[in-house]
Amino acid sequence: MKLECLKPLTLLTAVHTFLLCATLVFAADAPAIKITLEHPDQTLRLGDTPAFIGTVTNLGETPLKGVVVYLSLVSLEPGNEHPVDLEDWSAEKAVRIDLLPPGQTSTHQWSMRLIQAGSFGVALTGIGTEEKQPTVSPLVRFYVEPKPGLDSKRVLPVAIGEPLLLLALWGAIRLLGGGIKHPLRVPSE
Amino acid sequence: MNSVIPLIKKETLEDFLTARGVFSLIVASVVLSAFSILLVSNIELSLLDNAQAVYLMVSIILALASLVAIIQGSDGFAGERDRATLETLMLTPMTGQGLAAAKLIAMLFSWLILFVLCIPYLWAVGSTGQNLWAAVEYLSLMGTLLVLIFGGLALTLSAKVKSFRGVLSIGLTVFLFSGSPVLLGPALRQSAVGQMIDLINPFADALNTLDSVVIDSQGISFQVIRLTIMICYALGVLWVLYTATKRVEL
Repeated sequence: MKLECLKPLTLLTAVHTFLLCATLVFAADAPAIKITLEHPDQTLRLGDTPAFIGTVTNLGETPLKGVVVYLSLVSLEPGNEHPVDLEDWSAEKAVRIDLLPPGQTSTHQWSMRLIQAGSFGVALTGIGTEEKQPTVSPLVRFYVEPKPGLDSKRVLPVAIGEPLLLLALWGAIRLLGGGIKHPLRVPSE
Repeated sequence: MNSVIPLIKKETLEDFLTARGVFSLIVASVVLSAFSILLVSNIELSLLDNAQAVYLMVSIILALASLVAIIQGSDGFAGERDRATLETLMLTPMTGQGLAAAKLIAMLFSWLILFVLCIPYLWAVGSTGQNLWAAVEYLSLMGTLLVLIFGGLALTLSAKVKSFRGVLSIGLTVFLFSGSPVLLGPALRQSAVGQMIDLINPFADALNTLDSVVIDSQGISFQVIRLTIMICYALGVLWVLYTATKRVEL
């Protein structure tokens, strides 16, 4: 057999060996938790409160205790990417699963009130007490359509009208001689 | 009691019928108008959820109500003393406590007028959103408690400190201190110390209650602790005012 024919075969074997080793190493460190997050099946608009459903599955052979699962939200607006504080978006962002037996799946619902328009990504992170690294669900991307919350046709008449009304009242008081007499002062005869 | 009623009438009517009283209402109205126009003219602010806009508006209203109460409370005794009219008032059968009660009722009436003026603004920014009526209900309660706390405190100081300016500067300093944790932002307020400061601060309690009711749609059970603290403050201030005005010095 010529050397030129052997070279590609040797290379292929080496690659296969490397992949096998990498798979074995990866399998040894593979997380025992699988986390998924589902996109709500609706068009999302500003002010809506969609529910994101997350599942946590124990892929290992031992029960998992004290698994903490929490939601992370990030703004994906081009040029303005940043993590979003969930304080006003979601009332409950972390869930603790006391015990998750092997092969079992725990399902939870995260309601999130959409208070800002734009592109966002949300992911669920699970941390098991015995896991070496947290497990993160695939990023769920969603777009919140803008909806003007404030209607200038309602706001402007009030904003302009009320001070004008009070000014008119002030003018009327001035015109009529304004003021009141001191009720404790006895008028002289 | 008979001598207190005319004073209550005079003080309350002054807020509505005199040029000075109407002018102060116009100023409050212009502040609210400017803020609501800012909300609709700014693209980012106009996209705010209605509940967020209502919350921002009620925060401004509470700050205005507290400021007005401090100014009126400072003027209560010290202003009369500066204008040399306190002696005349004390010559009537009215006691210092009766005078304080009349001034306090007048403050509450001023708050009532401001509250009525605010309702159209709240309707304008929040009628299509959630929790508008809850916001109005809690605003009336929080505003009344804050007026009793800050106005009563200023009135107590006014009975003891000789000059109006002195009382006003102390009152405004206290108000700025109570508002400063709110200005620190949510990150610092989430720490244990920040939460404690928030809890003992009546102004922060009022804002956090409205945040909880208007934005998070939480019920009365979430507000009990903050409401209890505010009521305790109000009762404490009223008791201090009662004892401080037993004898008013000219």
